[in-house]
Amino acid sequence: MTQPSEHVSVQVEVNGRRYQRSVMARLTLSDFLRDELGLTGTKVGCEHGVCGACTVLIDNEPARSCLMLTVQANGKQIRTVESLASGREMSPLQACFQKHHALQCGFCTAGFLMSATALLEEGQPTREDIVETLSGHYCRCTGYSPIIDAVEEAAAKESS
Amino acid sequence: MKSPVFAYAAPNTVAEACSLLANDEDAKLLAGGQSLVPLLALRLAAPTTLVDLRLVPALTGITYDQGVLRLGAMTTHRAIERSPLVQDVAPAIAEAAALIAHPQVRTRGTIGGAVAHADAAAEWPAVLLALGGHVEVTGTTGSRSISASDLFMGPFMTSLEPDEVITSVSLPIDGREIWVDEHQRRHGDYGLSILAMTYQLSDGFLTDVRLAVAGATGSVTRAPEAEAALEGRAPADSSDAITALAAELSYTSDIHGSADYRRDITTTLFQRALRAAGERSGQA
Repeated sequence: MTQPSEHVSVQVEVNGRRYQRSVMARLTLSDFLRDELGLTGTKVGCEHGVCGACTVLIDNEPARSCLMLTVQANGKQIRTVESLASGREMSPLQACFQKHHALQCGFCTAGFLMSATALLEEGQPTREDIVETLSGHYCRCTGYSPIIDAVEEAAAKESS
Repeated sequence: MKSPVFAYAAPNTVAEACSLLANDEDAKLLAGGQSLVPLLALRLAAPTTLVDLRLVPALTGITYDQGVLRLGAMTTHRAIERSPLVQDVAPAIAEAAALIAHPQVRTRGTIGGAVAHADAAAEWPAVLLALGGHVEVTGTTGSRSISASDLFMGPFMTSLEPDEVITSVSLPIDGREIWVDEHQRRHGDYGLSILAMTYQLSDGFLTDVRLAVAGATGSVTRAPEAEAALEGRAPADSSDAITALAAELSYTSDIHGSADYRRDITTTLFQRALRAAGERSGQA
């Protein structure tokens, strides 16, 4: 029978690169990405699933990485904000965020970008779809409108 | 915030999960983790062992057979919301799934986990009660079926035995009308009131009404007096039922809303449900 253990071995693919690590079972995916892999683009805000800052893509679906144990991501493909830019060139979505001033302090931005990335990959969202998807994120600086505008423009660019 | 240390196991079968639960009285099951992981982070829960069900293959999938929609316990809210089968046979159930939290939570949270957690402000327990659904469970001594009315014992309390695992949730979809609605202060918040109602319409009159309320009350509950007051009435002839619903339930007061506020919201949700029933009877 499977023996319970405080340590677990995990193998994940993050931004196209494979990693194998032995970690504590209690380690959240957000702490794993930041502390074990050094991918500090993913921010940790509330640490209990309210603010959305830590959102990453798990097999192309957005999820809060603070609400996942690392071991739950075993065998899965993960994408973080570090996957978006090519070198120093921002992705079209990131460029739209810059153009619309969709960030000020930037702490929440990685989460917004990842949820918006998943939404744009699914098809052509309406403004209402964008608001619904981004409602799972807190931003204390922008008042949200510039963020919604940025995603809307990125969606329009993608379809043209 | 770091969760307390626990031991972890991810068995491949339900039987093994049951044994692991039976071997450690402080073991807990992990489904999607969208309620349990924050409870661990806040140290409101400190299980010694977590038994993760993600590798048990028999626990996902959605089927519809002979009027019963069967949802594997590890089926995510997102999968239910987006299932072409659910959208086809019971669109109200797909819409109810979309009321739960945010997309980023629905991709991970599961129906079995939500039902077992039995949060007083969760959607599925109300839906299950209003539909007269049941759960299939397996423990070390065998399997059994528990009806929704026998399952929910109070806030965060169910009649599940410590070694039992919910394997699927069954919802009867048998031509009865279904209505699920809720009010949240902000989109994605816990519902301040959640109302689920099922009924039949014959010649414009309501029969076989089942009404369940969550969020507004200490735990999910039926409203038998309001149900009885609607029986055989037209949806427009509902003033007795509205009075009964306001009077018979014990509404919660907390920082999110007073009992009076929750009563008013629940009344409004009920009136919307009745208006929809009136429209449906007009179309019939």
